[in-house]
Amino acid sequence: MARTEPFQIRIADLRERYRPQREWAEGRGLLLILAHFFTGAGAGAWLFAVPLGSDTGLVAGFFLAVLGAVGHLFFLGRPERFWRMATRMGSSWISRGLVGLSLFLVTAFLYLALLFLAAHTTTLGSILLALSMLGALWTIIYKGFVWASSKGIPLWNTPLVPALYIAYALRGGAAVLILLAGLGIQLGAWEPLEPIKLWLAVSTAVLVLIYLEVMRGSGMTALRSVNLLLFGKVALPFYLGAVLLGLIVPIGIGSFAYLDHIPAGLLALVGLLSLLGDLSIIYCIARAGLYRPLPT
Amino acid sequence: MVIDLKKCIGCTGCALVCKAENATPPGILWLRVVKHETGKYPQVRRVSVPLQCMHCAEPPCMEVCPTGATFQHPNGIVDIDAELCVGCRYCMMACPYDQRFFLSAERTYFPGHTTPFEQAGYQRHQAGVVSKCNFCTPRLQRGLEPACVANCMSRARTFGDLDDSNSEVSKLIRDRAGYQLHPELGTNPSIYYLPP
Amino acid sequence: MQTENAQEDLWIPTTCGLCYSVCALKVHRVNGTVIKIEGNPESATNRGRLCPRGVSGIMLLYDPNRVNVPLKRTNPNKGLDVDPGWKEITWEEAIDTVAERLRKIRREDPRKLLMTGTVTTQDEVPFSRFFTMAFGTPNGWNSGAGNHCGTAEHLYGALLHASWAKQPDSDHCRYLLNFGSGVGSGSYYTVTGMAQRIAEARLRGMKHVAVDPFLSPSAEKADEWIPIRPGTDAAFALAMLNVLLHELNVYDAEYLKHHTNGPYLIGADGSYLRDETEKVPLIWDPVDAAAKPFHSPEIKDFALDGVYAVDGQRARPAFAVLKEHLAPFTAEWAEPITTIPAATIRRVAKEFAEEARIGSTVVIDGKALPYRPVAVMYFKGAQGHKNALLNCMALELLTEIVGASNVPGGLLGMNSCSVGEPETGQPAWIPKADRDGLMITGYWPSFPPPYPPKEVRATETIDLRGLIPTCPGSSGALPVVMADPKRFAVPYQIEMNLHLGSNYLMTFADPEAVARAFQNVFQVSFALFLDESTYLSDIVLPAASYLERLSHTADWMSSNAAVGEWCYHVRQPVVDPIAQRRSVCEVLLELVERLEMREEFYAFINLLLKLKEPHMLDPTRCYSWSEIVDRRYKSVFGEARGLEWFKKHGVLKWPKQAEEVYWKPSSSARVPIYFEWFKTLGEKVKAQADEIGIELDTSAFQPLPEWRPCRAHEENSPGYDFYAIYYKLPMQTFSGTYDNPWLDEVCQTNPFAYGVAINASAARQRGIEEGDWIEITSVATGHTVRGQAALTEGIHPEVIAIAGCGGHWSKYLPIANQDGKGLCFEWLIPVGLDNVDIPSLTQDTCVKVKVVKATDRGSKRSSRSSRLNDLNHLNDLNPG
Repeated sequence: MARTEPFQIRIADLRERYRPQREWAEGRGLLLILAHFFTGAGAGAWLFAVPLGSDTGLVAGFFLAVLGAVGHLFFLGRPERFWRMATRMGSSWISRGLVGLSLFLVTAFLYLALLFLAAHTTTLGSILLALSMLGALWTIIYKGFVWASSKGIPLWNTPLVPALYIAYALRGGAAVLILLAGLGIQLGAWEPLEPIKLWLAVSTAVLVLIYLEVMRGSGMTALRSVNLLLFGKVALPFYLGAVLLGLIVPIGIGSFAYLDHIPAGLLALVGLLSLLGDLSIIYCIARAGLYRPLPT
Repeated sequence: MVIDLKKCIGCTGCALVCKAENATPPGILWLRVVKHETGKYPQVRRVSVPLQCMHCAEPPCMEVCPTGATFQHPNGIVDIDAELCVGCRYCMMACPYDQRFFLSAERTYFPGHTTPFEQAGYQRHQAGVVSKCNFCTPRLQRGLEPACVANCMSRARTFGDLDDSNSEVSKLIRDRAGYQLHPELGTNPSIYYLPP
Repeated sequence: MQTENAQEDLWIPTTCGLCYSVCALKVHRVNGTVIKIEGNPESATNRGRLCPRGVSGIMLLYDPNRVNVPLKRTNPNKGLDVDPGWKEITWEEAIDTVAERLRKIRREDPRKLLMTGTVTTQDEVPFSRFFTMAFGTPNGWNSGAGNHCGTAEHLYGALLHASWAKQPDSDHCRYLLNFGSGVGSGSYYTVTGMAQRIAEARLRGMKHVAVDPFLSPSAEKADEWIPIRPGTDAAFALAMLNVLLHELNVYDAEYLKHHTNGPYLIGADGSYLRDETEKVPLIWDPVDAAAKPFHSPEIKDFALDGVYAVDGQRARPAFAVLKEHLAPFTAEWAEPITTIPAATIRRVAKEFAEEARIGSTVVIDGKALPYRPVAVMYFKGAQGHKNALLNCMALELLTEIVGASNVPGGLLGMNSCSVGEPETGQPAWIPKADRDGLMITGYWPSFPPPYPPKEVRATETIDLRGLIPTCPGSSGALPVVMADPKRFAVPYQIEMNLHLGSNYLMTFADPEAVARAFQNVFQVSFALFLDESTYLSDIVLPAASYLERLSHTADWMSSNAAVGEWCYHVRQPVVDPIAQRRSVCEVLLELVERLEMREEFYAFINLLLKLKEPHMLDPTRCYSWSEIVDRRYKSVFGEARGLEWFKKHGVLKWPKQAEEVYWKPSSSARVPIYFEWFKTLGEKVKAQADEIGIELDTSAFQPLPEWRPCRAHEENSPGYDFYAIYYKLPMQTFSGTYDNPWLDEVCQTNPFAYGVAINASAARQRGIEEGDWIEITSVATGHTVRGQAALTEGIHPEVIAIAGCGGHWSKYLPIANQDGKGLCFEWLIPVGLDNVDIPSLTQDTCVKVKVVKATDRGSKRSSRSSRLNDLNHLNDLNPG
């Protein structure tokens, strides 16, 4: 069978009544998934690291976001023209996102530079920190709206998606810090995160359930997509990645930790699994995206 | 544009004359024809439906485009300036009609060989950007109808001004109860179908 | 296209060559490169439009897989999958080899030469036939005859419509009863013109009732689809005739009396009663109560009914005999055969009868003409069966009984009558009557036409057409006779095949059996591609495609629709032949010189192209191909409109007159509704066959229609519970377009183009889901083909339908030969006389198959024979 090239698969898809979107999930589309994951987790980590005073967390958050930005860049068909994407702030969430992410990366970089070079707080540093937090918040918020504003894919085309993405980004950020702590390279106090993390994991699980339930009732195409997630070709990454690794295990361990002290290794595992879960959910929702049937 | 599904025989001539006119590379199908079946044996209906960019009056693709590459001509035609496109494919996710195609890399129909036709025609297509039907804007500028209209072998297609209530297209839509695809999305497509 | 900097920017008028419709083109060439092919709006043939194949011709022109140089086989073993080991040779060597072979054969027995062609090359094949005639061989084979062409259908074209093919009157028809033909939906004749005309007719309100096992591209466009069991169309038609004549009492008496042999008196032996002196058929005049010669000026009326005593003999009008013959074929009789409810048959018959509007007239060009706006169409689907002759007869009689033949609104011969271009009065032909008053065609693409009946001769040809002269076209018996000529008392064997662009291994029946017949033949192929059939070739010559060659191609009936305008075109090269490709006609002219047969060849050209002085060819000098084309044009259209005029203008056209289109009311030629001579002809065939010593079932040589089961209806092996049928697609022509990547792309977006249509419920009962790979095994050949299931409600539950001619296996067709590019239906149909309708030599094309879900992907076909790859070991030809 020679029809394995993406463009050949796309042709074959056109026969189908419910056609999967593949550009934002398969092949180089995986870069986009990774980019969304890394920028989300990075920005989340930054947001948590600031109040916790974790410099390692800041550094990790920054570099994750850089990694994500690189992923975004190389996902583009024409990376050299990336700057053009900032020109439609009025209507396009990608434009808005690029501005937010750029704000975050630039101010975060300057802040970190200042932090490590000057090694003491300045007014400039405070301004940069404030701006970077704004950028990070912006980054966390815009991502969900990019997916949600995609009119072609009913599974995404709901306000629940931004909520979900914000929750996952925050959770991811917390998970990064927990992972660092588990690995023993956390500098600041991480303990306050533990209940937050658990709370985030539980609420994310509830949010996912609500999301799937709402989408089941949002027309045939969304229902098909949900079926793909629950029973179809995306079921394996969904149950294994998003549900088991991403929700059940972390919640389980988190609940256990609530009662007793948690060993560092297990802590790292919770962080790592949560992150894998975050990545999985982004991937699964992207993979399950279907276009509406045509002609009707 | 009005497409008369009673006349259309689903031959795919439009899909290929589009390819010939626009020299679209492999896998880039600005126009396709799908079969839609309803009913149970023996009361069955199968209809051929040509699909292409609907040139929505309210194009979701244009709204999401982060660079302004997707734009609307004053006559309503939705077009892409390939020089501005970064290939983020956001528009592909936004188009409810799944009518946009991304050319990931330069390729030819015969692997390892570029025909003289492709040598001449593929200059118009850059890799890494999204493309779609533009109602043959270069033909319109020369006073010709879009290639799919001019070639349709059952004369199922009529091209004209939807804003002019006396135009042939407006009359057809009125007289034959023309309809748009997925009108509930508020995109207000410029392609109307006449019932089979 | 960016043409600003072009040094050259031309639109060249020419004609398409991708099917027999021969549409008019305008080809856009910029700086030597073809960048667009459009329909020529000047021509009425396609009115500026093109089908998907037509616009994709660019990819054929520039396909790197085309044959570009002459090739010689190096592997002495021949087989379906045996690589010939091609070696490049010079044209000189190739021509030397071919000429030497031909010279030897011509010296020994010229009949040892066969020519196989395809109907898509309307220019080269007819010209090559002149070559073979001059050479001295009667043997030719249009290989599409297996699955794609008509045979019996064309016979009735000649007998009833004075034309090769027919179409409904798209301008006036109101009720089209279509037994599976693709008219107006992207196949059948004048594809592009008829698509427009029938689309207009739909809007005008013509009701289209499709009787078809599959909701095919044609049936999709019908107002009503009536699924029928394959091969039972005649039972449906007979039941309709029964309802018309025995329940509704509807028939066009005036038409039957004056334009058919309905009033001819039939004696007890089934033959005409003839008068003593002139020996012409008699009719009964009920006014004078006397028998009179059919053409007597004293006839006051014609009896259609009753029993009369003439010279002591009991006699009845043919119509009365027909009516009585139809009595048992009730709707209830047809129901279990066709699976169509009797009530549906009655309703359709009633609608048909009412819409025929017998007695009504319409004024066209100032003349009142009978108005019968109903037509019955069919083509390969209904005719491609074991009982082809009698099946087609039943279908045709529906049109005849209501008088809808070649009148406004009815079924029209495709160019039965031409009074010629206004200035020259040419080309002209008109149907005329023989001594019995029955019609002889005015024009027929081969000689002589099927009526008057030809003599029965035993051993002349390699395809039984000498013995069975009712076969009007290509014979389904050829591979059978060719494999064992002695058995049929043919005193020679085919030694050489001039092979012109037909892929006969994939367009007839069981490729293995066909290959067996051809394996010992020295084959010279003029080829565009190294397709499956060239695996058996010894020499392959690179042929110029239709875009690279010249011809006066289009003056064949099939490029002009029945209505509208007359159009004559030119085919001219839009680019010089690429690489070493050459026009077949030019190569043949060179061979004529090499073989020193110029005198005979020119004589045939002068005769068959109807060249006139001063444009006749003079054998003392040698003419180029373009000179011959020029002389042809000038002979027909006058001095001013030679080749140069046509190259410049592309099209010569003028309007058709009403009496050309609706010629029947003014014609004195009658058509048969009682095929009297079939019976005696059959007796002669039987006698001759007995003499040769071959067993031949001649029982179908009958004057009146009958339904008889196909092999498939009676083959009831357990598990073989589907009928497999074949149908055409609007985006492929036979097997020859499958390497075109554009057509491939649109086929991939269509679930049926490369898949196997199967009833959704029937499939699920067998655990088969959409897209599953299934194995289809023929009860008749044992071969298995594989494809992907395309589940649909739009197919009879007993049927699977395979589109087109995919499933290629030549390694030189890299696009077509991949898995999942369709199926080769022919593997399922056996070769053998028991699978052929004897009177018309039509190949039966329905077969019982077993359908199972494939357990693995496997290869695209398998066979019970493990010897598939080496035909040299296969000598056990099933004699059939």
